[in-house]
Amino acid sequence: MTADAFLFWFLAIVTLVSGLSVILLANPIYSALCLAMTMVGVSALFVTLNAYFIAGVQLIVYAGAVMVLFVMVIMLFDLKKDLQAFTRGILSGALKIASVGLLAGLVVGAIAISTGLLAEKTTDNPVTMGTGMESTKALGNILFSKYIFGFEALGVLLLVIAVGAVALARSKGGTHEQ
Amino acid sequence: MPLGGVIFIVIFIALFGAFLLWVASKTGGKSIYHPIKYEPYECGIPSLEKKDTKVSVKYYLTAILFILFDIEIIFMYPWATSFREFISTGQGAFVFVSMIVFLAIFIFGLFWEVKSKALEWD
Amino acid sequence: MGMGKDIFEITVNGLKLVVIFLMMVQAVPILVWLERRGSAFIQNRLGPNRVGPLGLMQLLADAVKFLTKENFVPDTAKPLLYYAAPVFALIPGAVAFSAIPMSTPIHIDAFEMFGSSWGPYTFLVQGYDIGVGIVFILGVSSLAAYTLLMAGWGSGNKYSLMGALRASAQTISYELALGLSIVGVIMLYGTFNLMDMTMAQQGPLHFAFMGHTVTANWLPNWGIFYQPLAAILFFTTTFAESNRLPFDLAEGESELVAGFHTEYGGFKFNMFFIGEYGHMMIASGLMALFFFGGFGIPYVSVAQVQEWAASATSTATGASALVALVHFLSFFIKFAFFLWVFIWVRWTLPRFRYDQLMDFGWKTLLPWALANTILTAFVIYIASL
Repeated sequence: MTADAFLFWFLAIVTLVSGLSVILLANPIYSALCLAMTMVGVSALFVTLNAYFIAGVQLIVYAGAVMVLFVMVIMLFDLKKDLQAFTRGILSGALKIASVGLLAGLVVGAIAISTGLLAEKTTDNPVTMGTGMESTKALGNILFSKYIFGFEALGVLLLVIAVGAVALARSKGGTHEQ
Repeated sequence: MPLGGVIFIVIFIALFGAFLLWVASKTGGKSIYHPIKYEPYECGIPSLEKKDTKVSVKYYLTAILFILFDIEIIFMYPWATSFREFISTGQGAFVFVSMIVFLAIFIFGLFWEVKSKALEWD
Repeated sequence: MGMGKDIFEITVNGLKLVVIFLMMVQAVPILVWLERRGSAFIQNRLGPNRVGPLGLMQLLADAVKFLTKENFVPDTAKPLLYYAAPVFALIPGAVAFSAIPMSTPIHIDAFEMFGSSWGPYTFLVQGYDIGVGIVFILGVSSLAAYTLLMAGWGSGNKYSLMGALRASAQTISYELALGLSIVGVIMLYGTFNLMDMTMAQQGPLHFAFMGHTVTANWLPNWGIFYQPLAAILFFTTTFAESNRLPFDLAEGESELVAGFHTEYGGFKFNMFFIGEYGHMMIASGLMALFFFGGFGIPYVSVAQVQEWAASATSTATGASALVALVHFLSFFIKFAFFLWVFIWVRWTLPRFRYDQLMDFGWKTLLPWALANTILTAFVIYIASL
């Protein structure tokens, strides 16, 4: 087994085990921390795919911002342990997970086939596998040439989210009145 | 990227830390159980059992706004690395203006958020 | 994707990572001694000077004291998180610090050992060279928020939890200004790679402006002359990132007892401080790297040092080792200077109140960082016309 393969299997197992722990653990804080571990595992898997900048962004945004939000909020609410993870036994729970997984797979497969994702495709933006910088510069190139509208729209979307979050917090009891 | 090195050092540090904790527990004094000593510390007084301590919603807002602005900053990184290349291919003005538009939305968001007193900590 | 091609390289790289981590751990007693003596000097009193010459053995005595303290877990704590938090405190600091280049690479010619010939190697004087250096360091440093949250929750003490939430809210607020103040530097050098950034800061100050090349031979080509505002912003935000005064409200004694590490005694308490000093070291290293030429020597380029070393030693391996040593000394001087500035500021400025702190991060540093970014982009654009 080559070093690359060993690294991939190690990271895949760590990510999958953390992901399963999110739904199988009873304590919500442990679930959130395992989800953070999953994000870190996914970031490492991105590195094996030579997407270095995306791996760094996954660490900064997902593992370092979104999951911190999750953990902070769970700590704020002090949820009681949810021991009803599997009602009426393990078999029923396994059937639930399997059916949802099958449905999700069918939906994703239908979308992928209809948009041609599964067909053999040559990319129109070949990226050389060098140091991390070529892929980042290529990303910058594409962002400002092909996807410039999406880029600006994203700024507006983030502004809308900010307004929505503040409005939500205000309506639920206020940012200023305690 | 040397992923093997990063994973190696993370595992090594985790084991090293666990080893240090184990050594500290072995060389430490005997822990004699006494209920007062094991209570959570509250400046020496018996703890006041308040069932529902209200925590401010500002922590949630700070975290959400942090995520949003962090994503915007992340978008500036590829721009920053390829800015000089864009200038050399003659598209410098276009890229600069498009980023200024993005930053204008960012600044407007920040300005609105400050003005709406969403992050007033008192 | 790994640590080397053959067993020698893998072993040396692995040992190098371990040595860098242990160096970081060992620097903590020295830094604490420096802090106690330095603070005493600033406050016009004597620091510890009884134990050993100049009080140097004080930290050894303190370490022995920490080790012999009783180890206990409070009743309301969750043991797994309670024990995981100090161990996790070590990880982000060390992983990020290993990515900072401390000197030029060392080339070793082919040599004979154990009957087989080992080829020419190049060893970097850093843990690993990350292509997207600064993005990786920022990402790993942002994981430090989990230490605070795990410690606060795992202690089972609602005041620890409050302290942890406040500390993590402070940390994430200042991460914004940190990430943004770096954008100007990245634009200037056009790369995330820390080694490339260091190599771009060699020799005297020169840049192209509207077709003319401006050279100032009396100034080194350091980042601070191009980005002074970013330097100030970066340095200020790293104070908040490592919870040092004047931003250490979350662990300030007068507020929430000791914040998130109230329930930790003995060696676990020490491990949090190893993490905090690790963040200080990352901040000093990055400050030296972005704005003060990294391991470069002012006015002298790396090639000139290599020529001198080649004429001073006989073998190529010896020459490259000498060059690496000289550059490491240069880095170390700058690094030590910034660590001293951290300590100096701690004992000079009073502490911020929490709302002042958050206002400063969101309403002062963030707009200034934005202004710096826009100004830098504008000047780069104008300079290329």
